[in-house]
Amino acid sequence: MSSYLPVLVLFVLAVAFGLLSLLVSITLSPKARSQAKEAPYECGIVPGREAPERFPVKFFLVAMIFIVFDIEIIFFFPWAVVFRELGGYGLAVIGIFAALVFESFVYLIGNGALEWGPRQRQRRAEIVSPDRTLTSTIRRVGAEGRPAALEPAALAPAAHHAPGHGDHGHGDHGAAA
Amino acid sequence: MSSLAAVLAQAAPGLTAGPAAAAPTPTITVPDIEWTALLPILVLGLGAVLLLTLTSLARGTVTRSGYAIYTVLVATGAMATAAPLWGRVHAWDHLGKWELSPPYGPFSAVAGAIGVDGFSVFITLLIGVAVILGALLADDYLRREGIDGPEYYVLLLLSATGGVIMAMANDLIVLFLGLETLSIAVYVLAAIHLKRVQSQEAGLKYFVLGGFSSAFFLYGVAMVYGATGSTNLVQIKDLLAVKVPTHNALLLIGLGLMLVGLGFKVAAVPFHSWSPDVYDGAPSPVAAFMASGVKAAGFAGLTRAFLLGFGQFASDWQPVLYFLAAASMLVGAIVGITQTNVKRALAYSSINHAGFMLMALQAASPKGVTGLLFYLATYTFMTVGSFGIATLAGRTGDGHHDLADYRGFSRTNPALAGLFVLFLLGQSGFPLTSGFVAKFGSIAAAVDAGSWHLAVIGMVSAAISAFIYLRIIVAMYMAESDTEAAEKAPKAARIKVPFGAGLALVACALATIGFGILPNGLNRVAGEAEPVLVKEPVPAAASGADGAGLTGLDLTTIPTTPTTR
Amino acid sequence: MADLSAAYLGLSAALFAIGALGLIRRRNPLVMIMCVELMLNAVNLTFVTFGNMLNDAAGQAIVFFVLVVAAAEVVVGLGIIVALARRKPGLSADDMNVLRG
Repeated sequence: MSSYLPVLVLFVLAVAFGLLSLLVSITLSPKARSQAKEAPYECGIVPGREAPERFPVKFFLVAMIFIVFDIEIIFFFPWAVVFRELGGYGLAVIGIFAALVFESFVYLIGNGALEWGPRQRQRRAEIVSPDRTLTSTIRRVGAEGRPAALEPAALAPAAHHAPGHGDHGHGDHGAAA
Repeated sequence: MSSLAAVLAQAAPGLTAGPAAAAPTPTITVPDIEWTALLPILVLGLGAVLLLTLTSLARGTVTRSGYAIYTVLVATGAMATAAPLWGRVHAWDHLGKWELSPPYGPFSAVAGAIGVDGFSVFITLLIGVAVILGALLADDYLRREGIDGPEYYVLLLLSATGGVIMAMANDLIVLFLGLETLSIAVYVLAAIHLKRVQSQEAGLKYFVLGGFSSAFFLYGVAMVYGATGSTNLVQIKDLLAVKVPTHNALLLIGLGLMLVGLGFKVAAVPFHSWSPDVYDGAPSPVAAFMASGVKAAGFAGLTRAFLLGFGQFASDWQPVLYFLAAASMLVGAIVGITQTNVKRALAYSSINHAGFMLMALQAASPKGVTGLLFYLATYTFMTVGSFGIATLAGRTGDGHHDLADYRGFSRTNPALAGLFVLFLLGQSGFPLTSGFVAKFGSIAAAVDAGSWHLAVIGMVSAAISAFIYLRIIVAMYMAESDTEAAEKAPKAARIKVPFGAGLALVACALATIGFGILPNGLNRVAGEAEPVLVKEPVPAAASGADGAGLTGLDLTTIPTTPTTR
Repeated sequence: MADLSAAYLGLSAALFAIGALGLIRRRNPLVMIMCVELMLNAVNLTFVTFGNMLNDAAGQAIVFFVLVVAAAEVVVGLGIIVALARRKPGLSADDMNVLRG
């Protein structure tokens, strides 16, 4: 324990020095508060609004990719230490593991996780599709909240026809909920 | 450095200790991997990965229903690879001798981490069935809700992989990893309906409470590890057979914490609060899978950890299970009656069922395990069928689950209403349905074990819970005469039954009736599916691997540990 | 040096308790995820301590698996929170009133 004593002393000294300098600056410094002094930038353009607190969710995906490879490294290190002793078996196992981890990366890329730039609508393309016509739009709007009116054929007995499936504007009811 | 080398000692038992870089002649014995035992896990897991890869590389090229068909095929493949294991476990030789390594009978593989016995094969098959039914139900549902894509199926297969790992786990850490693989996939599944805020809330709620319970389970494992020096169930059992741990309290605390963790997963009563919310918010096919596959895996974990690993401590954990079973049965039945939402009512009914299964497990006897497995098998079909009807009746948006929404259901959809009645009657334990036989088996096991009071509680709760189902049936059939209410409520429209969901529902109905009228076959199979702990046959090369934990540990040398604070 | 095993175990138990209490008391989903992490890492400390006491490498090897599980949980949890925050900005667990209970 005694061998750690100098470290402890140094630690205490460092904290004490930090506290002391803070205390001195607080007690001795002259106070002259003004609007300009409180601003984030003391000179230059006066900020018109609060700094944006939102950031693109894209960062989240990047963080996820980071974590994926972070985890991979956890297992790579011990493997690398005894790489020679494990030999071909270890190589095969770590190869399978790396391939599986890389697979998640493939998925992220495939979903456009690294496509920076203007936002792309991937799945909602059909809403403003070129074949959207006036009648289809009116039909869609009119369908809201009246599911019964939509399906006159289905109400009739023994009308089991499977086609005619896509023309009910499925999915738009759900979006309104 | 030494700690890193130590890691490899776990991955490859037999590694002689010491800094690996400095030692020129360490002998690392790689575990002998029994690939046939792992095949169901590999088929499910690699199937999921392959699906994800293919669809990532070529997005949007899959034809209609392609994902569902693929998932069904993968699950069938996994079941097909599990079937030979059943034959091997039971030493069938009238099918011809296979080129399998002797000995026949239950065995453990991968350095004792995986145990293959009748029980694990049975649960594997059950999870495969749950995956197939879940995929069939989801096919049209996902397209209807506009959340089509491979993700649901990939997660379904991954969570099934975790479930199978749990069913085969012979090591508490393997059990934990399976539990997490299962759970993490299901967290996402619960939140997969991006257009319903309820779904995401359900996902978050499930995630937070699931993480909570996983941490409890893991802490329990840590306590058991501290008390016995191993996480391997075989070694623990062997150890406890010859030595009395000096830290019994540590072991008991560990068992208690593990029970809390697994109790959350199977929604036993003091830990059930998440389940109605999550079943309600999650997409209906996901709720079906959660109530069937996840619950089966949870009970598999309970059985393996408690009945197999800590069978000697049965007198310690039996009273706890007794309490959990009684509370689950009563609370599930009583609170379920007051629910006005069908999915929530089904959730409470599933809590009630969990109580029955706990009652069977509480018996801690072969008959109890048989009852549990029979119950799980029949319950899988009934609950998937019920949630399948809810999937269809929920209509676009998955939001029409109030009892009022079911008014006049029998007139607009007589076939669906009839099936729903069948599933509900089955769940209530009506004679000639599989639910009756299942409840009977569970109660009989409890009586055999001398738990008379629990058996009585079970019968009472079955009677009470019948009202849950009667309420739904009444709403479907009789509320039409109530003209005022019928006018107020929107008429349930006629529902087109898609092929996949129809197939799943018919299969569930056939199973519910079939196992009700002719239960003997399933009962015999469940009886043969006994869980066994088998020690890994020690290969000559790795003789140090298996016995190391046993011989190297002297329990009396464990220092005293203040762990209760 | 004195045997600090008991102290480590006490510390991990305290951390676990802090995590569990925080999960119950705090209402911010992000903090709740942090509490789950705290619980899991408290368990890690327990495993390492027991592994050290038993002179068994497995206790330390287990930590790696738990770390991976914890990371996977965080990724999934954050994903769910991001999806939820897109729908309802400024969320806390008390705002989650769409589902009863």
